[in-house]
Amino acid sequence: MTLKMPSLNEFRRDALRIRKRFLRMHFEAYAGHIGTGLSDIDLLTYLYKAHLRSPGTPGGDVFILSKGHGASSLYATLNHFGLLSDENLATYYKEGTLLPAHPAPRAWDTIPAATGSLGHGLSIGAGIAFAHRVLKPSSQRVVCLLSDGDCNEGSVWEAAMFAAHHRLGNLTVVVDANGLQGFGKTTEVLNVEPLPRKWDTFGFDTIEIDGHDFEAIRDALTMTISPDRPRCIVARTIKGKGVSFMENRLEWHYKPMEREHYTQVLAELDEAERNL
Amino acid sequence: MRIDFTQAVHQALAEDPASLFITGDLGYNALENLAATYGTRFLNAGVAEQNMIGVAAGIALAGHRPWVYSIAPFAVFRCLEQIRNDVCLHQLPVRLVGNGGGYTYGIMGSTHHALEDLGVLKGLPNMELFFPGTNDQVAAAVRLMRELAGPSYLRLAISGFAASNAPLSENPRTLTRHYARGTQVTVIGVGHAVQIALTALNLHGLAEAGADVFGVARFPFDLESDQALLESVRRTRSVLVLDEHYLAGSIAESLKHALPTVDRFESITASYQPTQRFGTPAFMLRQAGLTPEAVKAAALRLGAR
Repeated sequence: MTLKMPSLNEFRRDALRIRKRFLRMHFEAYAGHIGTGLSDIDLLTYLYKAHLRSPGTPGGDVFILSKGHGASSLYATLNHFGLLSDENLATYYKEGTLLPAHPAPRAWDTIPAATGSLGHGLSIGAGIAFAHRVLKPSSQRVVCLLSDGDCNEGSVWEAAMFAAHHRLGNLTVVVDANGLQGFGKTTEVLNVEPLPRKWDTFGFDTIEIDGHDFEAIRDALTMTISPDRPRCIVARTIKGKGVSFMENRLEWHYKPMEREHYTQVLAELDEAERNL
Repeated sequence: MRIDFTQAVHQALAEDPASLFITGDLGYNALENLAATYGTRFLNAGVAEQNMIGVAAGIALAGHRPWVYSIAPFAVFRCLEQIRNDVCLHQLPVRLVGNGGGYTYGIMGSTHHALEDLGVLKGLPNMELFFPGTNDQVAAAVRLMRELAGPSYLRLAISGFAASNAPLSENPRTLTRHYARGTQVTVIGVGHAVQIALTALNLHGLAEAGADVFGVARFPFDLESDQALLESVRRTRSVLVLDEHYLAGSIAESLKHALPTVDRFESITASYQPTQRFGTPAFMLRQAGLTPEAVKAAALRLGAR
């Protein structure tokens, strides 16, 4: 069964609006970490629009952002779906905010873990999944979003062993594999490829998809898998996706936008919206 | 202390169904009974301490209260960032237990000693530290840890100079014990290092130095409630602290800042020596100068008027 076109367009429209909001936040805050947010917004859009059940509520599904440097795209996504108010979002990056560049601890029910040092999120997510599957069984699911740079950390693979060993079928790992990390291409800095084979070998039901294709994201999240195996979606993405001059450019991991950049961003996103 | 701990935690698990026990693949010949009794509430996380602490944090976020056990160096150092970020910043009721504080694992070598554990943990936000002085204090420490809504660390140890005198008094909250009265110098043993002072009392005539002997077992301090200790320090104006821990970051250092100003303050602590050799805990303590004889000599010197 394929996703009907209007629904597909709906996802695209949501993602475009989140990108706009996200870029406005970064322009107004003069904040970096833009490229990483643009690479995961399509994944976040699908997760929050169609997959996660009552996230941030007792008994709801749990989302853990292991790539804590992508917090702003999560903030924008939560705001778009009514899980973070405009008033709160307006404090992003400002003095006294609870929305810093990396998530704050115990600040929001929707963001259970303060991440930012890579390699932490999957262990936390696996612990929550273990609690809901083994200690006090429930139908709650856990989704954990990692970056490919995250996968440099040895603790990620400790957590992967743990999740597979304890048959955490309620745990989904999504790797936002945009191919760029802090100081270069992932394949040149510390090659983590082949990611799909690694996750498969570690005991995950693994699928590799285009992380900007909503139909593929949907299929990956709804495919029938063993109830006793965790799932991994290696999502091939483009860092800076949606803004021509940012795509696949390392510098947009760090650089904030100047006025001329933002003007071009708006022009490109308005054009994209007209073409939807 | 390990036996006392397993008995106390057994009771804790029995009384609190939201609690569970996690080990980093250690506990042979000690934890089998816990494993058999508690089923899925006993988890061997394998040799993966970073993940063990992150998992414990996740389990605590889901509403449970894990005890996490390993030997002291493995429970603290490899996974320090997980303790800081995942546990302490989130104020989670994760109870860390490090067996083998100080030189307990003497002949096992430097990698197995824990002489910086309290130092690296005491600066972490929301962390409470418990370091019982003797075996009969472990159960009380476990009970106090059970009451905490945030993180804590229990340092278990075996002293190279074993002694277990009946205290004159004990503060049930701070676990500070008063062991002997004297008027010349206040001698404070940190955790199991108090047993060196007790050995000095029992076998080496420490009383001749007029030593007022205390043991402390919890940090942060609550000195306002430890009036006997405060009064002793104000009266003697001479303090000697024994700490089986490197000086930097030690509880001895914290005591120096926390206690009232005195005329004389000295500490005898562990120290790293490039030429050090290995042996029993008592050998390691002798090599470091943490001996009953050294305690008596220092007490006599500090107490002389």
